[in-house]
Amino acid sequence: MKLPLSWLREYVDVDASAEEIAEKLTFSGTEVEGIEHVGAGCESIIVGEVLAWEKHPKADRLRLCRVSDGSNELPVVCGADNFDAGDKVALAPVGATLPDGMTIKEAKLRGEVSQGMLCAEDELGLSADHAGIMILPADAAAGTPLLDVMGGVETVLELEVTWNRPDCLCVIGMAREVAALYGLDLKIPEPALEETGKPVEEWTRVEVQDAADCPRYTARVLTDAELKPSPMWMRRRLACCGVRPINNVVDITNYVMLECGHPLHAFDFAMLKESRIVVRRAAEGEQMATLDDEERRLTPEMLVIADAERPVAVAGIMGGAGSEISDATQTVLLESATFDPALTHRTSVALGLSTESSHRFERTVDRATVEWASRRAAALMGEHCGATLAAGVIDVCGEAAGQAPIVCRLGRLESLLGVSFSRDEVLAILARLQIPVAESNDETVSVLPPSFRPDLKIEADIFEEIARMHGLDEVPAAAPMGRVVVDADDARPRAVVACRDHLVGLGLSEIMNYSFLSEQLVDRFGKDADDRRVALLDPVSADHGIMRDSLIPQMAESLGHNAAHQELNAACFEIGSVFYRAGDGIQEEDHLSIGLMGQPQGWGDGAADTSPEGTFLRIKGLLEELVRVQNAPALELQPDTHPAFEPGWCAALFAGEEKVGILGLLVAPIRHQWRIQVPVAMAELKLDAILSQTHDVQGFKAIPVYPSVARDLALLVDESVRHGDIVQVIESDAPMELTGVDLFDIFRSEEIGEGRKSMAYSLTYRSAERTLTDEETNRLHVAIMDRLRQELKAEIRER
Amino acid sequence: MDLETLKKTVAEGLEEAGAAQTADAVEAVRITYLGRKGLMPQVMKELKTVAPEEKAEVGRLANTFKKELAELLESRREELSGDGKGAAESATFDYTLPGRGPRRGTRHPISAVIEEAVAIFGRMGFTVAEGPDVETPYHNFEALNTPGYHPSMDRQDTFWLDDGKLLRTQTSPVQIRVMESRTPPVRIVTPGRCYRRDTTDATHSANFHQIEGLYVDSQVSLADLKGTLAYFAHEMMGPDVAVRFRPHFFPFTEPSVECDFSCHVCSGSGCRVCKGSGWIEIAGAGMVDPRVFEKVGYDPETTTGYAFGMGIERIAMIRYGIPDIRLLYENDMRFLRQF
Ligand SMILES: [Zn+2]
Repeated sequence: MKLPLSWLREYVDVDASAEEIAEKLTFSGTEVEGIEHVGAGCESIIVGEVLAWEKHPKADRLRLCRVSDGSNELPVVCGADNFDAGDKVALAPVGATLPDGMTIKEAKLRGEVSQGMLCAEDELGLSADHAGIMILPADAAAGTPLLDVMGGVETVLELEVTWNRPDCLCVIGMAREVAALYGLDLKIPEPALEETGKPVEEWTRVEVQDAADCPRYTARVLTDAELKPSPMWMRRRLACCGVRPINNVVDITNYVMLECGHPLHAFDFAMLKESRIVVRRAAEGEQMATLDDEERRLTPEMLVIADAERPVAVAGIMGGAGSEISDATQTVLLESATFDPALTHRTSVALGLSTESSHRFERTVDRATVEWASRRAAALMGEHCGATLAAGVIDVCGEAAGQAPIVCRLGRLESLLGVSFSRDEVLAILARLQIPVAESNDETVSVLPPSFRPDLKIEADIFEEIARMHGLDEVPAAAPMGRVVVDADDARPRAVVACRDHLVGLGLSEIMNYSFLSEQLVDRFGKDADDRRVALLDPVSADHGIMRDSLIPQMAESLGHNAAHQELNAACFEIGSVFYRAGDGIQEEDHLSIGLMGQPQGWGDGAADTSPEGTFLRIKGLLEELVRVQNAPALELQPDTHPAFEPGWCAALFAGEEKVGILGLLVAPIRHQWRIQVPVAMAELKLDAILSQTHDVQGFKAIPVYPSVARDLALLVDESVRHGDIVQVIESDAPMELTGVDLFDIFRSEEIGEGRKSMAYSLTYRSAERTLTDEETNRLHVAIMDRLRQELKAEIRER
Repeated sequence: MDLETLKKTVAEGLEEAGAAQTADAVEAVRITYLGRKGLMPQVMKELKTVAPEEKAEVGRLANTFKKELAELLESRREELSGDGKGAAESATFDYTLPGRGPRRGTRHPISAVIEEAVAIFGRMGFTVAEGPDVETPYHNFEALNTPGYHPSMDRQDTFWLDDGKLLRTQTSPVQIRVMESRTPPVRIVTPGRCYRRDTTDATHSANFHQIEGLYVDSQVSLADLKGTLAYFAHEMMGPDVAVRFRPHFFPFTEPSVECDFSCHVCSGSGCRVCKGSGWIEIAGAGMVDPRVFEKVGYDPETTTGYAFGMGIERIAMIRYGIPDIRLLYENDMRFLRQF
């Protein structure tokens, strides 16, 4: 909200500078986000009088003007067309400087000399208005400095008013805060009315169908209003608050809203059918054009102000175009009312229509201010529109009952804030805030929350008032106390941290992606599973429309992004949640993904092998090591298929009977979309499958006492025989003494022949009881060789 | 030669083999120990004079040593000749060549900040609690004392799913879930991912992370909260960083404060990072509203507590000087390798 300081000072005599006030407000709960000096930089702008104008001979859009600066006549070329001869305008003569620093020089525009510039409000930093040049009051004398006409530079505070303080959404509310902070008096004007017209009841009737929707509705009628621009000072204040001046009647309703926080509405009385007001829910299918010229479809969920036949305003939000105040308006019906905050909010959201009025009504306005606001506006209309006021006011429902007292315990105040207060200190703070006290003693203070403070409901709300007025800087910082909650269990989050540390230790770098992605990207990885997908109802963009049910697409995309930036080698992981539909709910599950591309730095000589086999085995080895350091159950590989992975290069990961993940080589079509030329290995698994259990510690195994003996073994086998088959045969009936089986070479040659390969192993034997003799070792080794010959038809090349 | 002397001789022989700096010296060691008139043939010759209980061991040791030394001398000879770069040439080894071997990966800066924050609060006895990203409106809003028509309930700020649930806009629902599931004391921090319908720009991201804290006990004060956040500020941003409170409004705390840290870059004198003010807004906090305690079934008369929350991305950006939040989600290795 914007707060012009000259306006504030009408209600409170505060001498402090803008900066001092800003600091006080910021540290009492209303953050001042900026201080503007509206009009600063306009010192060299003067009032000019347009003496005559004609069209530019060579440019239809330009006008050649003769402008008086009070002593001389200047030729000025101007692009606006909202003025006529005789108008007073804002003139920047040659040599003048605009607020943006630009200095006006004599110029030729399409061949015509221009010795100055006629300025629009936005060019002078006065408002955002660029509809045309600024037209000044007719009585302003040419040559007068513009700032003299405008009443000088206005200092405006930009405030962030919190949701709980609707009372601060106006100048008087902020004046009340400032008065409390400085211990000053608040001066609220008492509007004097001359009700010379016939009684208001003879003009109109008001019917409120449900007092819950509209707790209070008042109406006044003003006749013979003279529609014209409002006075300069009022227009300046509206503009400083970001409200566009329109005409005197509308401006006065806005002015009073900004002043006291109570939105008002003025209807053109002549447009009201049967001259009466009905506050009711809209009928289904009812339509209405609002002031912004939008046709609105209304529903029974919305409250409208209607005449005898049709809606004339969306209650508390915006008036209708049909009853708008226009130059032809003579009689005005002035509405001052309150509407249910939740209802106003829902309607505002449903219509996508948020206004200064709805902003205040949805935060609660003070029911007690309704009548004052109506009187204030009526008095101003009498003064500035020459209107005659009908006698009396229609007031439906009237004042609200007072709130029950809130009992505040001083002992609890001290224990909650960590600061002690005397009763007198508390009473003094409450008095400054204009919060009445019903009674008090040494232990308690009973507070009567005023109607303008709807946020004060319970004891803690009063404590907050005392804390903020006292100053939160006065609250000491108590030394932190290391309270241990012994039965709190955070083993899992700690296991995740340990797992991340291991992954990083294994040379992987962590990436992080959004939890949603584009449908297009998901589709690339298979459309089959789209009944699993969880879509956002209202995504910001199509790029982020689907919740991820797998980390693989984004891992591929991240590697692709890097490949596109010449980062061709990467080893990455991501830990994140995936989301999918299961049963009638949405499942959420933590996953781990791993991606390997190229030869990541520091991965040893093995990383030089970027063949499909080398890449696949590298990610497999990585998982094996991860399982080892995490002390997790072993993962078994079983052939599988997946749309992301090359056929034959894909395996499911099983922990016991449960499928916990998948790994494989990214299919070439997807890889090629990102111009990745080397094989890319990726894995994804349920994070819980590889998390260590805190108390699941691997027990100690005795260090062998006796030496081991190694025997090598080379097998000639068919290509179809896999390493796993060989190990299985070796280990299936292995003696206790066999402690290690290590593959150290795979060899193919013409000599060996097509479809065959040589696999060389080193077997380690060791006894826990004694040193094995050569004879014993040989016996064990021969038995294994015999089994290999029988079961795999292996040809043994002994060494 | 008795066993004791032999062990000494073996040790000397192995050492001399390594100390030999030329091929001739290697040969000299060989002759001394293994030559026809060397020490080992002599040991074998004299074996019969060794005490009977040591005889077997001496013989075994001598044989092992002969084999070992022969191998050692052979490899030493290779080191000192031909292509092998031996001691004589070690002066020409280029020790400025790049080192080889393992390289650690990197933690994402968001994880790094979360882990550090968790560790700092961990030292004060806070444990981590987690909850789902997909939340009920009740846990995300109503239980936190947010009125049904609060602006943050708007669809424009919240991602809704078709089963009436939503993506949490804050990690506060975890606090509610923990309080619903246990009695006080509660002392938790809740790092996690949150979602808001912000259009992404340099400082806004539809996905972001928060860490919130909650301490509920019988005698908790605003002064305790200030002390806790002051300790966090020192540990996270530096020993000279101070905290200050400004009044604010959050629906689930009363009183509510905003907590600023003094700028760690300029020490409070004003710079670009703190936009000249000397202070950086870091956390929202306050004393838990009694109405929240009522919602979770705690007795608001006997229970007090504080809660605080802060944005992880914001801390990461301030701490590492990252100018644009989008860098955190681009996964560019040139960025990630820096952490
Ligand atoms: Zn700074």
